[in-house]
Amino acid sequence: MEFSSGAPPEFDYLFKLLMIGDSGVGKSSLLLSFTSDTFEDLSPTIGVDFKVKHVTVGGKKLKLAIWDTAGQERFRTLTSSYYRGAQGIIMVYDVTRRETFTNLSDIWGKEIDLYSTNQDCIKMLVGNKVDKESERVVSKKEGVDFAREYGCLFIECSAKTRVNVEQCFEELVLKILETPSLIAEGTAGVKKNIFKQKPPESDASTSSCC
Amino acid sequence: MASKSNSKSIIDEDEEEEEFEHFDDFTLASSWERFISELEAVCRQWLANGPKNLLVKEAVQMDLFKDLYKVKSEFKYAMKSYCMEYYFETNNDGKVADWNQILHDLQLSFGVKDFLVIAPQSASGVVLDAPEASKLLSAVSIALTNCSCLWPAFVPVHDPSRKAYIGIQNMGTVFTKRFEGDRIGSQVPIKLMHLEGLYELFISKFAYTTVDLSMHQFKVQFKMKLTYRTPSYDDEDEVQEVDADITAPGENRESETRIKMQWDDDCPWSEWYSAEDPVKGFELLAIWSEVTVESSADMAEWENASPLEADKWFLYPILPKNLGISDGNTIGFASQLRLLIKALEMSLEAQFVEDFVSVEKSDSENLKSSAVIPPPTVLDRVLKDLFHEVTEVQLDFSLGEHKSSRAIKGAPLESLFAQFCLHALWFGNCNIRAIAVLWIEFVREVRWCWEESQPLPRVPSCGTIDLSTCLIYQKLHMLAICIDKKRQQNNGHDFDRNDDSATARVQEDLQIPNNSSAFRGVSIDDRKCSAGVAGSMMLLKSQRILYAPITQDPPPMTEDMHEERLQAAEALGDSFSFSAQLEKDILASDMSAFKAANPGAVFEDFIRWHSPKDWENDDSLDVEVSQGTEREGKVEWPPRGKLSERMSDNGNSWRKIWNEALPLPISEQKPLLDPNREGEKVLHYLETLRPRQLLEQMVCTAFRAAADTLNQTSFGDLKQMTTKIGQLYITMASMLKYLQSHKTTVDSDVIEDLKRLCVTFEHIEKLISLAASFHRKFLQSPHLAQSFFSDYYDYYLPKMGTGSTHGDTDTREFDKKQQIRSHEDWKVITSMFTQPTPNQSWRKVLSMGNFLNGHEPILREIIFSKRDRVSGSYYAASNTKLYRQEIETYRMYVCGTSNDLRVALAVASCD
Repeated sequence: MEFSSGAPPEFDYLFKLLMIGDSGVGKSSLLLSFTSDTFEDLSPTIGVDFKVKHVTVGGKKLKLAIWDTAGQERFRTLTSSYYRGAQGIIMVYDVTRRETFTNLSDIWGKEIDLYSTNQDCIKMLVGNKVDKESERVVSKKEGVDFAREYGCLFIECSAKTRVNVEQCFEELVLKILETPSLIAEGTAGVKKNIFKQKPPESDASTSSCC
Repeated sequence: MASKSNSKSIIDEDEEEEEFEHFDDFTLASSWERFISELEAVCRQWLANGPKNLLVKEAVQMDLFKDLYKVKSEFKYAMKSYCMEYYFETNNDGKVADWNQILHDLQLSFGVKDFLVIAPQSASGVVLDAPEASKLLSAVSIALTNCSCLWPAFVPVHDPSRKAYIGIQNMGTVFTKRFEGDRIGSQVPIKLMHLEGLYELFISKFAYTTVDLSMHQFKVQFKMKLTYRTPSYDDEDEVQEVDADITAPGENRESETRIKMQWDDDCPWSEWYSAEDPVKGFELLAIWSEVTVESSADMAEWENASPLEADKWFLYPILPKNLGISDGNTIGFASQLRLLIKALEMSLEAQFVEDFVSVEKSDSENLKSSAVIPPPTVLDRVLKDLFHEVTEVQLDFSLGEHKSSRAIKGAPLESLFAQFCLHALWFGNCNIRAIAVLWIEFVREVRWCWEESQPLPRVPSCGTIDLSTCLIYQKLHMLAICIDKKRQQNNGHDFDRNDDSATARVQEDLQIPNNSSAFRGVSIDDRKCSAGVAGSMMLLKSQRILYAPITQDPPPMTEDMHEERLQAAEALGDSFSFSAQLEKDILASDMSAFKAANPGAVFEDFIRWHSPKDWENDDSLDVEVSQGTEREGKVEWPPRGKLSERMSDNGNSWRKIWNEALPLPISEQKPLLDPNREGEKVLHYLETLRPRQLLEQMVCTAFRAAADTLNQTSFGDLKQMTTKIGQLYITMASMLKYLQSHKTTVDSDVIEDLKRLCVTFEHIEKLISLAASFHRKFLQSPHLAQSFFSDYYDYYLPKMGTGSTHGDTDTREFDKKQQIRSHEDWKVITSMFTQPTPNQSWRKVLSMGNFLNGHEPILREIIFSKRDRVSGSYYAASNTKLYRQEIETYRMYVCGTSNDLRVALAVASCD
């Protein structure tokens, strides 16, 4: 995965990614760590933040529009609109705070079901702050089990030490690139004729299962 | 002999003959003998190939009969050409199929399985001349004997309408079977309409030739099949009959005679159109298998037998071919959607919706001629229905919709715009001009609601805007919210938008915390702006109860507003300065409201309420505090704790906003949403909407609303239907997504796809109406509805794949019958044969007996048979053991009604 720092004028695909999770789990830090290779203790996000990053994966030029939402309950109604059209959703928790992990299933999972309009969208579970290994309360196995149950990707990382940060986004993007319906959405301005992609007798309405 | 020629592939008859090893004398060959040998050659070839090879080579499947194939060959004899056809089945069990299967006429009539038919190649295909017929038959017979082939052979005789045949079958060395069948087209003798007459007819075929007729009783077997047809559902009288039965078994029939009930009155689509009942009725076959009778009197008794005593029942529905799809003039959602797509195609022809209304401006000729605008009365009725006659609509639209509805970017069912789209489908003939007229009036009506601050019907006036809907719906939702806000203002809810007065109040309010620091308890003003006590929290500095403020709702945003923000954010690029101005405004508003509700509160208090995780309690102190609470209020105060590191940073933007926020209850704040401005923006959007954009959203919404409407049909538990509907939604979503994306203009490919989508939609629509019809007819035994539907579904599914309405390459008709086994089901079916009214009874004069609830059979089929032990013949003496078997010596098939009778006789004899 190569990162091009400048903003190239054109791209093959535009993907919209969304970061959710309790407040203070390090979503903004993670994003900052990814987009500008730095780590700062950031002010809590107000409502929503937004970053654009151009990357090249597998020879494809990608433009990632990453929406970073605030974890505070008060902002939840406001951020719900950002779920729409997201090809990837990153669920972040803090491995040193158990409630941030349990809230993913209690609160955030439900938010996804409610607001995401994209059935195929890729979900990724991210355990942040693994640099504080001594304070860890959520084991890696618990994370894996959760990811298996929800059918999502899983990675542990640290925004501070930048461990696994790039891998986290790369995994997600690769998975999106493997999903044809998501690629079709991300393809800017190119219309595909779905009847012509397949032989006519097997069009979606008549071929499938029953 | 036959085995020798097995492997030879025959190119023409002459070669064939040369290769035969048996001796053929051609020296004296007449043309007649030559003809026979030609027939023989072909028969040998067919015989040698066997069904399997014939299937590979040249056999064609008979359309109507799944397991019957034929091969044919042509001959010339005496200036005439003949065609010989060999019919065969692939299952080799040797038995003639049971008669609940569909059989070929000849199979049914004569009880044969594989057979030959030879007929002249003429227009009628019938041998008219009796000598010619028998000569032809003898020729075939000789040919077959020569190759020791046991196939029966038939020759048609007389007029084709009589379906008369003569035939012969060589049954080995001893017997020959002769066949003869004919039909009486009208004026059947009364005697032959009754069972005893038919019995005597059969007896007469053998009695007078062998024994004395008068002295004997003849034991014969017979099988009987009676076909009944349920009274037509379309018949007006019947419908009332059913109706009356439902309401009360009785007397108020007269009063209801004027109201005609449609079968689909309770189906969800009936609000828009009335579909023809796809199930025209049912035919019931009652079968008696193997009964023995000994006399005419015995036989006559059988005419009194009720079909309820029959051995087997089979039922099958009478359905129009292809569910009536291929005739192309059925009305339904699919037909109207097709018109809407035409309108979409034309929508590029003008820039503004108004251009379609004024004919002068439009150049298109076909627009003027074909596009009819309905009269104003119709327009008024539609608008009235949309805006005025709204009975308390449930605004939770999600109830009626399919789980995949939301994937289609349209308006939810029952919402204002969805209703508009459905009305538009039926307004005029859904041409672009009619749509334009309706839209202009629609927007005018919406404008009126806005100006008069009247609530917008069928649109929720609160909640968040659902971005998965189409933009028009989002805009209408936004407008409804704005109207609601406006009404609140007008009703004295003191929303002060006047900046001057707001600041004036701010000055006053600022006084409160300063002047009344000793202020204990809560004033009425405070209560007004608070939503109640927030748990057991106390303010840090003033040690008063912390009140949660009433806060402003975040302003609703439509899709285009989000997009503007996105573009603004993108324009700022990667810089950190993406200023979430809106979010800051919301936070500031919350802080103001918090300050107003909690005079004397500090920033830490706000964080403890708003973002609890950014307040860190000291753990050790926590314990003390909880112990302290037990000692009744002697809590150590203030609680020790601190803001999280990130909150306490220097230059923290939260604290900056807090410092700038004035204590204002929301009633005095500048609203986050300016209803006047946003409302006007919505109307501007509606009034200047491009025809293409309107039509694209209409197409999506109309598809979604039509599917949602159909999806509400109750058809019981039919898995295939549910799956199919699910697939339809997915197909719709994947095709409709090319609309409403402002990047691309709709090209002809998309239009073609949409037209195909209409075809798919039509199939599903028809299947749903069929499912609904079956469901209604078998409410008592849903498993029958299920099996009928799944039979039809299996039959119909391959036809849907063709993707065109005229794909009738496969002409097989639906013929699957259901055997009815349980007696509960017999009762259900019997009840479908409602007692005819006296009025109807007198019309029926068939007098064939065997009534079912007063209904006579529409068709009666009987097979008589007489079996004889083969003994006493002149072969018996020499070869007793070999031939002591029972064979069917006489068989007669009778099929008919009172004015149409077919009789076919097969006689085996040992001449």
